[in-house]
Amino acid sequence: MAAQATLERLGDTPSVADYLRALWRRRQFAVAIAVGEVRSQNMHTVLGNLWLVLNPLLQMGVYYLVFGVVIGTDRGVDNFLAFLAVGIFLFHYTQRSIMAGAKSLLKNQGFIRSIQFPRAVLPLATVLAHGLSFLPAGAVMVVIALATGESPHWTWLLLIPLFVIQTVFNVGMAFMMARLTDRFPDMQNVLPFVFRLLFYMSGVLFLADRFVTPETLVWFQLNPIWAMLSTGRGIILDGTLDGVLWLSAGGWAIFALVTGFLVFRAGERNYGRG
Amino acid sequence: MADTRQVLADQQPALDSAVTLVAQDAHVIYQVYEDRRAGLQELVSTRGRLRASRAIKAVNGVSFEARAGEVIGVIGANGSGKSTLLQAMAGLLPCTQGAIYARSQPVILGVGAALQPRLSGRRNIELGLLALGVSQEQVEEQFDEVVEFSGLDDFIDLPMRTYSSGMKARLHFAIATSVQPDLLLIDEALAVGDADFRGRSEERIRSLQANAGTVFIVSHRLSEIQRTCARVLWLCAGELAADGSPDEVLAQYREWVGRPRSRPPRQQRQQRRGRRRRQRRRERRVVRRQQRRLRHQAED
Repeated sequence: MAAQATLERLGDTPSVADYLRALWRRRQFAVAIAVGEVRSQNMHTVLGNLWLVLNPLLQMGVYYLVFGVVIGTDRGVDNFLAFLAVGIFLFHYTQRSIMAGAKSLLKNQGFIRSIQFPRAVLPLATVLAHGLSFLPAGAVMVVIALATGESPHWTWLLLIPLFVIQTVFNVGMAFMMARLTDRFPDMQNVLPFVFRLLFYMSGVLFLADRFVTPETLVWFQLNPIWAMLSTGRGIILDGTLDGVLWLSAGGWAIFALVTGFLVFRAGERNYGRG
Repeated sequence: MADTRQVLADQQPALDSAVTLVAQDAHVIYQVYEDRRAGLQELVSTRGRLRASRAIKAVNGVSFEARAGEVIGVIGANGSGKSTLLQAMAGLLPCTQGAIYARSQPVILGVGAALQPRLSGRRNIELGLLALGVSQEQVEEQFDEVVEFSGLDDFIDLPMRTYSSGMKARLHFAIATSVQPDLLLIDEALAVGDADFRGRSEERIRSLQANAGTVFIVSHRLSEIQRTCARVLWLCAGELAADGSPDEVLAQYREWVGRPRSRPPRQQRQQRRGRRRRQRRRERRVVRRQQRRLRHQAED
C-alpha cells in the first residue's frame, strides 16, 4: 500500500496552490529568461541596447511631426510633446508585452517539449523582459517632461505604482492571449489589428474629451488602457490624482491577472502540442 | 495531493514497492494540419475546418511496469512512436487515453532540445540548469564542471548559433546530465560528438544509470542495447510488439527488419479483429484518391 501512494499520475495539472508553489520555485528561471531576452534582442546591432532609448525617441519624433505639427491633434493640451510621450510609451509597453506574451508558448516549444515546469513561467518571463526594456523608455519619458518645462512634482513618484498596476494587467492579458494563441496560432494575425484599434480608442494621440462626443467617451472610459494612460498623464502633466481612474486601472489589472491565470492554468495539459 | 493519491490507490492494481513507473493503456494522439485543403466531405464532417487535419496515433495503447534498478531499451523503426512515448513518460505530452504513473518526475535527455541560439553558451548553461529545477546557488557551483565536460572553453561566451552541431550537442548533453534524476529517459543521446567525447559521455551515462532508479534508452544501435539493457520494449506503429529479454526481443526485431512489410507477431493477432473495418476504410481511401486524381485532371 505504501508503494502505491508514492506513484503519481504524469501530465496532470496540479491544484492552484501547488501550481503557484511550483511557479515560485522557478522564479529564478523566469528572471533568467527575461534577462536573456533583453540581452539578446539587440545583440546583433552595432548600437546594442542603446536602442532601448533610441527607439522610443525616434517614435516620439515621428508622431510629434505628424500629429503635433502636420495634422495638429494637440487641441486642448498645453504640453503636447510630454502628453504624447506618456501616451505612446505606456501604450507600447502594454502592446508589446501582450503580443510577445501571446507568442511565448509557440516560441519556446523547445523548452516545453523537453523539460517539465509550470508553463506560466513563459508568458510571465516575457512580460518581465518587456518590463525591463520599458525602464529606459520610462526614463526618456521623464526627461522629455522635464525638457518641455514640467517641474518635478511629488505625484511623479506614483509612476512606480502605476508601472506595477500596468505590469499586473499585462501579465494577466498575456496569460489569456498565450492560451488562445497556442490553440489558434491565427491569433498572431488578429492581435495587431486589435491593438491598432485600441491605439485609437485609448486616446494615445489626442485628448479624448476634446475630440469625441460624450456618448462615445463611455467607450474610452471602459477601456483599461485609456484609464492607465490618463492616470499617467494626470500625475506627470497636471500633478493631479483621479481616484476613479486609479480604481478603474487597478480593478482591471487584478481582474485580468486572476482571470488570466485561471484560464491559462486550465489549458496547461495541452501546451506545446501543435 | 492527498486526494489524487487516494484515487490512484483505488485505480491501480496491486504493486510492490520496487515499481517506479507504470504505463496503463497509454495513448498519445497528435492533431496535425496537412498541406492541402479539406475536401467537401471532410468540411461537413469537421464542421467547417478549412484545412485538412489528421489525427496521428503516435502511441496506441501501451502498457508496462518498470522496476527500480532496471535499464530498459526501447527499439523500433523510425516513426514507431519511441520518442513520443518517452515524452509522455516525462509528462510533457499528456496521454489522450490511459495514463502513466511514476514515483518521481522523470527527466528526459534528448539531443535536439531547448537551447536558445541567440544566447551565449554561458547563458544557456544557466538557463538550462534553472529550467531543470536547479537553484541559482547550485548553478554557480556546477557551472565550471559543465563547461569542462562540454569542452567548449573559449567558445563559452559566443552565441550558440555560431557553434557547430557537434558543439551544440555536447553542450546540451553536459547540461542535461549535470542533474542526477531518479527516472532517466535517454533519447538517442549516446552517439554525440567525436570519439573522445563519446567515450566520456558513455562513462557519464553509466554513472547516472548506477545511481538512477530506472533508465530508459531509445536507440537504433542494437549492439548498444544488447550491451546495456536487461529488458527491451519493441514499439511498432505505436503499439508494444514485444517486451522481454534483449536476446529474445532483438532476435524477433532483427527477423522483422529483414521483411519490414510484414506485421510483428502481437499485432497480427490484434489486426484480425479490426480487419474487416480496416478493409472498408482502405477501399474508401482508394475511391477518394481516384476522385482527387480526376478532379486534378479536370482542373488541368
